[in-house]
Amino acid sequence: MYFSPAALLLALTACEKEARVIAADQPQTSPRGPQDPRAAAYENNAYQVSQGGRYFSWYGCGRCHASGSRGDLASAGARRDLPHLYASIAHGHTSGARIPPEQIWQLAGYIRSLPRIDPARRKRQDRDLRGEPQGPTWTGALR
Amino acid sequence: MDGRAAMRLLSPAFFIPLAACAGRQSPLAPAGLQAEWQHWLLMLMFWVCGIVYALVMALLGVSIWRGRHRLAAAPETSPDDRRLSRGLGLWAGMIVAGLTILILGSFVVERELAGERRREALVVRVTGQQWWWRIQYRDPAGTGWIETANELHLPAGRTARIELGSVDVIHSFWVPNVAGKMDVIPGRANAIDVTPHRVGWFRGQCAEFCGAQHAHMAFDVKVDTPAEFAAWLAAQARPAPAPSGAAVVVTNGPCASCHTIRGTAARGRAGPDLTHVGGRRSVAAGTLPMSRGALQGWIAQPQALKPGTLMPAVALTGAQIDAVAAYLESRK
Repeated sequence: MYFSPAALLLALTACEKEARVIAADQPQTSPRGPQDPRAAAYENNAYQVSQGGRYFSWYGCGRCHASGSRGDLASAGARRDLPHLYASIAHGHTSGARIPPEQIWQLAGYIRSLPRIDPARRKRQDRDLRGEPQGPTWTGALR
Repeated sequence: MDGRAAMRLLSPAFFIPLAACAGRQSPLAPAGLQAEWQHWLLMLMFWVCGIVYALVMALLGVSIWRGRHRLAAAPETSPDDRRLSRGLGLWAGMIVAGLTILILGSFVVERELAGERRREALVVRVTGQQWWWRIQYRDPAGTGWIETANELHLPAGRTARIELGSVDVIHSFWVPNVAGKMDVIPGRANAIDVTPHRVGWFRGQCAEFCGAQHAHMAFDVKVDTPAEFAAWLAAQARPAPAPSGAAVVVTNGPCASCHTIRGTAARGRAGPDLTHVGGRRSVAAGTLPMSRGALQGWIAQPQALKPGTLMPAVALTGAQIDAVAAYLESRK
């Protein structure tokens, strides 16, 4: 078999950098009114919902809003639409101002998902989330 | 393959990649007990298999050469069975001997690697996360844990038991100069013992594909002398002074939701501990070498440097970013 140098050089044409989108999937602003089309993209996307769940434990939301407690958000998720939930996270909590918009969207999407999942699955989900790094008392990954 | 192509294959250019086989991320330059045993096994396999390969090639060559010279003569219709069966017996014996050497070598090495060294071991907790490493040491002066990230310090001559955990997906802990790989599996307690003895900087890397930034999930490993290690750990245990001026956003702004700076109000646990971030060698798990500029860039536009990272771009002004980067860089 004979490799011509020209054929080898041809392979170098593949060395161009691929085009990558580095921005978030959706514009990074708060909702524009109750009909904002981004709401569907957050509450119906499994990745966005699960990220919201992780932030929920990272930011210690479960301290007041643990499932089964008085602050359980499942009924709020059923009653309010996503832009409303966004506003109450961003403006109703002192720490809300610290959270970037994309994460608030995801948190609101997670809360919207809570009434839709059955109790057994919610229990499993809560157990998984206990392994997420949170607060000064967290002792490490689930083992 | 003609002769010219064969020559090209043997040209010096072909061997240039082999120059990468020594250095700070290589199993061929062992710096620890476990890596040395594995290197020994690798060499044993190389020589046993290499000798068998050379022997097969030589015998093949001899038979081709003999066959060519005998073509003129009449074909042999009744070969000498006795010589053939003696040769086959010898060959089978060599295969058994070769495999016995390999399996014994493998058993000896496995026995060494799994040996019980827990009693004198230094316990280090390493937790894999997309895409960085949380590293925790027991506080020698107290009961708690001292946390750092993406930089593992180990004392030379002492076994460290690295307890591995994952909070999301499967990762793999791999520092080839010091030991082999060990998978990091969510929900499972894995551990690997390492006994480094050569002082220096090495490189570790996640060795199990774990998502978009798997390649940027590296960490630096420093093997210190025991005195250096004790001094380093004592320095890591010290809290940081509070920031002043525009840098206060690091403790009362968005950064504090995910990052801890011990001694200040920043107590988030989701991201790496930043108490002594300026003393580390790299930013964002081996993505950039540590400098004030790298910190500025990382804070301003993390998605451009490490697309997919969970570090979000936050709304800070240029002056705030510069002040935060200066504060973090001074946290040696």
